[in-house]
Amino acid sequence: MNKKTNKGKLKAGWLLVLAVAMLLTACSSNNGGNTQPSNSPTTNPPTENANANTDDVEVKEDPLKLDIMIAAFSTDLPDDNSPIIKALEEYTNTDVNVQFVPNSSYPDKVNITLVSGEIPHIMVVDRNSASFINAARAGAFWDVGPYLKDYPNLAQAHEVTLNNTSIDGKNYGIYRSRVLGRMGVTLNVDWMNNLGLSAPTTIDEFYNILKAFKEDDPDQNGKDDTYGIVVSKYSGPWDIMQVWFGAPNKWGEDENGQLLPTHMFPEYREALKFFRQLYEEGLVNEDFAVMDSAAWNDPFVNGKAGAFVDVADNARRLDNAMQEKAPRDTPYTDVFQAPVGPKGHRDMPTSGYNGMLAISKSSVKTEEELKRVLKFLDQLNDVEMKLLLERGVEGRHYEMVDGHIKSLINDDPALLKEIESLNQMLMYIGPEAPSIEQTPLNEKINAVQKANEEIVVGNPAEPLISEVYAQLGQQMDNIIADARIQYIVGQIDDAGLDAAIELWKKNGGDDYIAEINELYQQIK
Amino acid sequence: MNAAWIAKLKKDRFLYLLLLPGLLYFLVFKYAPMWGVLISFQNFQPFLGFWKSEWIGFTHFENFFAHPDFFRLLRNTLILGFYDLIFFFPAPIIIALLLNEIRLAYFKRWIQTLIYVPHFISMVIVASMTYVFLTTQDGLVNEIIFNLTGKKINFLADPSWFRPMIILQIMWKETGWGTIIFLAALASVDVEQYEAAIVDGASRFQRLIHITLPAISSVIVILLILRLGNFLDTGFEQIFLMTNSLNRTVADVFDTYVYFVGITQGAFSYSTAIGLFKSLVGIVLIYGSNWLAKRFGQEGIY
Amino acid sequence: MLSKHDSWHERFFDIFNYLFLILFALATVLPFVYIIAGSFATEAELAERSFFIFPRDISLSAYEYIFSSSTLFRSMGVSIYITIVGTITNLFFTLTMAYALSRKDLMGRNIVMNMVIFSMLFSGGMIPGYLVVKELGLVNTYAAVILPGAISAFNLIVIRNFFQNLPAGLEESARIDGCNDIGVLWRIVIPLSMPIIATFGLFYAVGHWNNFFSALLYLNDHNKWPLQVMLREIVMLSQLAIGDLNNVDPEFVEPPDQSVKMAVIIVGTIPILLVYPFLQKHFAKGALLGSIKG
Repeated sequence: MNKKTNKGKLKAGWLLVLAVAMLLTACSSNNGGNTQPSNSPTTNPPTENANANTDDVEVKEDPLKLDIMIAAFSTDLPDDNSPIIKALEEYTNTDVNVQFVPNSSYPDKVNITLVSGEIPHIMVVDRNSASFINAARAGAFWDVGPYLKDYPNLAQAHEVTLNNTSIDGKNYGIYRSRVLGRMGVTLNVDWMNNLGLSAPTTIDEFYNILKAFKEDDPDQNGKDDTYGIVVSKYSGPWDIMQVWFGAPNKWGEDENGQLLPTHMFPEYREALKFFRQLYEEGLVNEDFAVMDSAAWNDPFVNGKAGAFVDVADNARRLDNAMQEKAPRDTPYTDVFQAPVGPKGHRDMPTSGYNGMLAISKSSVKTEEELKRVLKFLDQLNDVEMKLLLERGVEGRHYEMVDGHIKSLINDDPALLKEIESLNQMLMYIGPEAPSIEQTPLNEKINAVQKANEEIVVGNPAEPLISEVYAQLGQQMDNIIADARIQYIVGQIDDAGLDAAIELWKKNGGDDYIAEINELYQQIK
Repeated sequence: MNAAWIAKLKKDRFLYLLLLPGLLYFLVFKYAPMWGVLISFQNFQPFLGFWKSEWIGFTHFENFFAHPDFFRLLRNTLILGFYDLIFFFPAPIIIALLLNEIRLAYFKRWIQTLIYVPHFISMVIVASMTYVFLTTQDGLVNEIIFNLTGKKINFLADPSWFRPMIILQIMWKETGWGTIIFLAALASVDVEQYEAAIVDGASRFQRLIHITLPAISSVIVILLILRLGNFLDTGFEQIFLMTNSLNRTVADVFDTYVYFVGITQGAFSYSTAIGLFKSLVGIVLIYGSNWLAKRFGQEGIY
Repeated sequence: MLSKHDSWHERFFDIFNYLFLILFALATVLPFVYIIAGSFATEAELAERSFFIFPRDISLSAYEYIFSSSTLFRSMGVSIYITIVGTITNLFFTLTMAYALSRKDLMGRNIVMNMVIFSMLFSGGMIPGYLVVKELGLVNTYAAVILPGAISAFNLIVIRNFFQNLPAGLEESARIDGCNDIGVLWRIVIPLSMPIIATFGLFYAVGHWNNFFSALLYLNDHNKWPLQVMLREIVMLSQLAIGDLNNVDPEFVEPPDQSVKMAVIIVGTIPILLVYPFLQKHFAKGALLGSIKG
C-alpha cells in the first residue's frame, strides 16, 4: 500500500515540477516571483488527523488480521483506537480493520471491491444483488454451510433463514438476523378513547375505526379535518394489508400446487377493492400515490390521520415525535397485531434477515484460515460481543441496572463516535443479550412482534433466484405496482387490472412463472 | 518528415509543452479506461473482470431495441429533451440580458447572488419541497388555486403536468447558475462600443441586437452544440424522484431505465450498451450541429 | 437609475425588468430561506407547518448537534483543501491546454480537439476509471479525487473559444518584448481573461465542493471524507421510508431530525455560496478593457 502511494506521489510530484518549470521559463526577461503554486494534490491537509497507524508489527503471538467491510450510517465513525474495537480485538485475538462505507453508496462500493480483486476477509453483502450472486457462483466466497454445526452459536442459526439466504443450496454467508414478524397497526390512543373504540380484531372492525376517525370528529375540535390511515408513495402498507385478506406473500401455491404471483389470486382482488373503498370514502390521504416518504409520519404526528400500517416499532417513533410537541406521561400511540381476515389471521413477515457476512476466498485462502474466521464470527454472537458492539464498554457507554442496560452515551458525540455503526457486524444468532428497560409501549411492540411469529405468511419462492427476474424484474414489478395504484384511485377498473396482468405475463411474467416453478420443483 | 514541419514543431515547442499536461490527462484518465465501452458486448461480471467475462456480441443492443418499452422510452426522452432545449436553454440567456440592462450595480449583484442559490440545493430536497407546495392534500399552491377556482390541480399525479413540472424545477434550480457564463461573456464586451452607439442615437433594443447579442453569440452557439451532444441525457435523480405510479407512462426515460437495470439489477453490460447508444446519437448531433453552425458562419466548437 | 433620454417605453421596460428580476430572485431564494428557518425550528413545528419563513420557537439544538461532531471541522477542512487544490489543478491543466488549442496554426490541433469531444461522449464508466486510479496507486489519496477530473472537456472548449476571440495584436506585442508562448499565456492572455477564469474557477470549485461520489469511491479512510459525504448521508437517510426494509435497518438506525438535515445543508452550502460575491467584481462591465489599459 505504502509503495503504491509513493508511486502516486511521484507522479504528482513530477507534474508539479513540470508546472514550476513552465512558469520559470515563461518569460526571458524576468520571472514572476509571486507565482509559486502552493501545493501538490497529494499533500495532506493540515486538518487531517495523524492517522499513521500502519505499523504492521505483530504484537501478540498471532492475532488474526481481519479486514471487515460494513455499511456506515453516519460519518462520525470509530477509529482504530476506539475502546470498543480494542476490546473486540482482545476478546477475539484479532487485529481488526473495519472499513466503513456510507450506506447510500454501499452497492457501488461492493461492485468496485469485487472488480478490484482486493476483497476484504469479511464483507456485508446483499444476498439478492446480481453482482454478489454471480461472484459467489464464480467462487469468490466460501460456502460456510457445512461448517456451521461446529460452532456453538452459529449452529443455532435458523434453518428456514439459512435456506432463504442460500444460493443454489449453498450458504455463501451468514445472515444477519432480524425480527421476522415486525409489522403492526399503530393507532392514535386519544382518538380511540374519545370515540370509545377498542382494538381492531377483524378487518371490518379495522374499517370501522378508519371510518370513525374520518367521520366522528375523533379530535373533538368540531371540524371535519381528520382521516383514517396515512399511506405514502412507498407501497409497503398495501403489501401488508393485502396479506391480511388472504393474498399470498409475493408467491403462493394454487390448487394444483403450482406457484403463482400474488396478483393472480382472487384474494388480491378483494384486497384491492377494499383499498379502493378506503380511497373513495376519503379514509386514506388523497395524495398517497405521490406523497414524499420523508413526510409520511407528519399527518399522524399532527393529528390529521389516526392509523399507520407499517413496522410495529414505528409506534414508538410516532409517539416520540408527539411527545416532543406536548410531553405527557402516557403514550399517544398504541400498537396492535394485524386484524383477522376472511382466510384467518395472517400478516406479512420481513425476510427475517438483512444482508449476510460473506467470507472471501481471495483473502482467506485455506480451510485453516476459514476456521479461524468462523471462530471469530462465532464469537461475535457471544453475549459479551453483542453487548460490546451494540452497547459499548460497560462503565463507559452503559451500565447495568437491575439486569437491564442503561445507556451512558446520552448523545455525547465522543462516546457515540466510538460505537457508531459497529452493530452492523452483528448477526444476532444464538444467546440473547440483556436489553434496555422497556417502556410499556416498547413492551407492547415486542409482544406484538413476538405474537406475529405465529401468523406470518412465508414466501415459498424466497430462496429461488430467477434469471428472468434479474433481467426484467423491475419493469414487471412496475406494471403491477402501477396498476394497483391506478385501480385504487379509480383510474382503471377490473378490466384494466386484467389487462395489466396480461401485459405483465407478456413482458416476461409467463417465463418468470415457468422458471420459478421449475426451480421450486428442484428444491421441493 | 519534411523540414517545414520540423521548423514548425520547433517554433511551437512551447505550445506543445503547454499542450502536454492536458494531453497526458486525456490519455491517462479518459482513454486508458475507454475499454469499459467494450463491456457492452460482454456479459460483464465484476468479480470475473474484463478478461474472463463472456463475449456475446450485439445481444444487448438487440434486446434493447426489441424491448417493448423502447419506443416509449425514446419518445419520453426526446420530448423532454426538446422541452429542455426550447424552454430551459434560453432562460439563462434571457435573464443574463435582463441583468445586463440593470444599471444599479448593487441591485444587479444582489439579484445575481440570490438567483444562483438553488443550484446548491440537492435534488432530493427540491423534490421534497415540490411535494409540499404542490400536493392536493393541504399543499400551499393548491390551497391558493382552490380558493380562487374551487378546484384542485393534481400536478404531481397528472401525466400531462409531469413534463412542465420537470422543466420548471430545472429552470428554477439552474437558470441563475446558467447566467454566470453569459454574464462573464458580457463582461468582455467593450464599453466604448456602447458609448459610440449611444452617440449614434441607437436605442437600447438596437444596442442589444447589434452589440450585445453578437458579443455572446459564439458562446451561445458553443453551449447549444454541447447541449445537443447530451440531448438524450435527461438526468436520472430528478426524474426518478418525481416519478410515481400515476405518471410513469410519461416519466420513464433512458436514464431511469438504465438506473433500474444497471444499478438495481447489476446488468453492467446492458446499461453500458444503452449508454453507448446514447453516446452515438450524441456524437452525430454534435458533429451535425457543428457543421451547421459553420455553414451559418459561426465558429462552432472547433 | 433612469437616464434622461430614455423614452417612455424604455422606462416601462425598466420598471418591468426590475419587478421581474425581484420576483424571480424571491422565487429562487424563498425555499432556501425556509431551509434556514427550518434549521432553527423545533421538530414539532417542522412536522406541523409545511412552509414558513420565521420559526415560532427558535431552537439551536440542530446546530448544537452538528457542531458537537468532532468530524465536522475536519471534514470541512478536507472540503476546503480539495476545493482549493483541486481548482488550482483544474485551472492549470485547463488553461494551458485551452491556450495551446486556441492557436489556429498549431499542427495536430484538430486531432486533439476531436479526441476531447469524443471523450466527452464516450467514457469507460465507473469500474475502468477506478482501475486506472488504482493502478496509479492513488486510492485513498486526495489525488484520486482531484486528478481524474482535472479537465472538464466542456470548460476546456468554452475557454478555448474565449481565448480565440482575444485581440491578436496584444500577443504580438508581447512576443516582441521577448516572451515565448508560455510567457504570452501568463503575462497577457490570463490577465485579459479574468472574467472567464473567475467563472470557470467557480465552476470547478463548486464541482469539487459538491462532489461526494469520488470521495466515496476512492477514499477508504473515513477520516479523509469531505463534508459532502456527511451531508449526503444525512439527507439520504432522512429520505428513506420508515419500513423500507430493503434499504435500511431502522431498528438500528434512527433517521436524523429534519432540523438537523436542514442545518447540515446550511452549514454545507454557506461556505461555497460566499465565494461568488467575491468573484463578482470580475464580471463588471468593462473589466476586460480596464485590464488592457491598466
